Amino acid sequence: MVYTKKSPALFIIGIIMLAIWYCADSGLLTPYIEHLGGKKYKYFHELTSIPLYFGIISVVIGAWQWFGSHKESHWDYYSSSVAGAMFILVIAMLVRWFIAPEITVISKMGPSFGGKHIAKMLGLNYVVIGIVAGIIIVNVFKVPKWAENGVRVSRLGLKTGVILLGTLYSAAELKNLGGLSIIMIGFFVLGSVGMVLWMGARRNIPNSMGGVLSAGLGVCGVSATVASAPVVQAKPTEIAYTIGTILLWGVGCMFIFPIIGNLFNMGHVQFGAWAGTGILNSAQVAGAALAYQPDGIETLKVAEIFNITRVLVLPIIVLWLAVWYVKREESVTETVNVGQVVFAKFPVFVLGFILLFALSSTGIFAPANHYKGKYFGNTAAQGFKESKLLKTNDIALLQAETGKIQRADRKEALSRLMANKKIMSIDDDDVLRGLVNAKVLSGKANKVLKHAHKAVRHTAKKIKAFRNWITWLFAFGLVGLGMQITIGSMKQAGGQPAVIGAVVGFTKAVLSLIVVLLFVHETI
Amino acid sequence: MSDDKPAFDRGSALSIFGSDRKEDFMALAIALVIAFAVYIMY
Repeated sequence: MVYTKKSPALFIIGIIMLAIWYCADSGLLTPYIEHLGGKKYKYFHELTSIPLYFGIISVVIGAWQWFGSHKESHWDYYSSSVAGAMFILVIAMLVRWFIAPEITVISKMGPSFGGKHIAKMLGLNYVVIGIVAGIIIVNVFKVPKWAENGVRVSRLGLKTGVILLGTLYSAAELKNLGGLSIIMIGFFVLGSVGMVLWMGARRNIPNSMGGVLSAGLGVCGVSATVASAPVVQAKPTEIAYTIGTILLWGVGCMFIFPIIGNLFNMGHVQFGAWAGTGILNSAQVAGAALAYQPDGIETLKVAEIFNITRVLVLPIIVLWLAVWYVKREESVTETVNVGQVVFAKFPVFVLGFILLFALSSTGIFAPANHYKGKYFGNTAAQGFKESKLLKTNDIALLQAETGKIQRADRKEALSRLMANKKIMSIDDDDVLRGLVNAKVLSGKANKVLKHAHKAVRHTAKKIKAFRNWITWLFAFGLVGLGMQITIGSMKQAGGQPAVIGAVVGFTKAVLSLIVVLLFVHETI
Repeated sequence: MSDDKPAFDRGSALSIFGSDRKEDFMALAIALVIAFAVYIMY
């Protein structure tokens, strides 16, 4: 069978990509970009590079597919997937660059809740919209014949993205996280995963469904679901049900958590710890924290520490699920060598994730103490520019306000800053950021401190590049994933995930509330 | 070459590759190529 279709589709997709690039590069798109946010529009650099590269590839291969002669071969089989892959990619481009920003613009015209517009509160970002776009295409318009083979490479994109995700972690990051968050998250993540797996076995749902649901409900929502799906061989419908359950529960929590927090008169640290533990999805953790304390960021900061800790548990959970799934799937065979089965079926991409995590921990991609892709450096060799040294009038301004500061550590850090005209250590940087957040000093003085902070915090370029790659691989994979979700198959999945999700989510929220009220105080 | 052996595999409904292991190694290879390119270029 010859797989390559003699169709102009890929060639046309290439022309569309090149047209996007040309319109952006020549300035024809400028008025529309102004409408989408002007200087705040984040994707201009992508618009003037990515569609050019992929447009050229699509036009060249598209012309060969359209006009060339094809015969049965490996090359014919694999190259025939390019058209579908580019079809997914062009949809991901349109969603990320135009549709999601347009929805944000429209959403901003409507009402806001706790300072957040509806699209932001509901987490309607390009990832969610991309999945929905894929679902609409497959259910309303059907995937074209020439694209069918390519839709099946979307999982390859997700696996590659998960492997590269390993570069965003480092062992040094753990030092920046509080002991309490590690204990609480460790307990509740492992507890949630164990509870879902236990309930799944009792309710006879497929192991793949139980596995992916446990990661989604236990770790960090959509990312964990996507990362664990290949390990337990989850079907698109199971992934869709898990993501649906997480998002539904998360949106509910976002409204209910602040009400309960006010009822119990919880402090900022308490509420942040509770939201970061009890709410499943990152966007909604931030939403609830901001809804609870819209005029400050103390709650948000605590919630984010817990949220990041939860994401860091992901490799452990994926490993656990890999071993669990292999054992469960082979349990019907009487004489089975678990070691051999694990060796034969263990997902290599998980090892790839660990490999890149290990490489990242050595500091090969960024200084070993990088945190969220940023690292501290106050020498020229580390990226500090002499022009960023504090000016005489800045120092005079800070000097005049020193009397407002009560805490000794803050006074000492500020004194070192004024003496050296730059922040001298990562500890001083943390202390001074705390001073800014406490709003003790005037707005002008805080502005000086913020400039001093930015001068010593540098984004590692390699980490930034990895983030871009991961973003696009996930965008590509998730749009393709959406194209594998048909309404017919959704109907067959049943309502068990929602029931398990509600029970586990409710248990986690209540237990974490009790733990927070009993053991967490305003100072950790 | 025997005629009964297919010249290529058709994969599954979810993947163009014949096995998950094959897809994993392909993902690992692509990730390492990207990692190497990032390491060299940035």
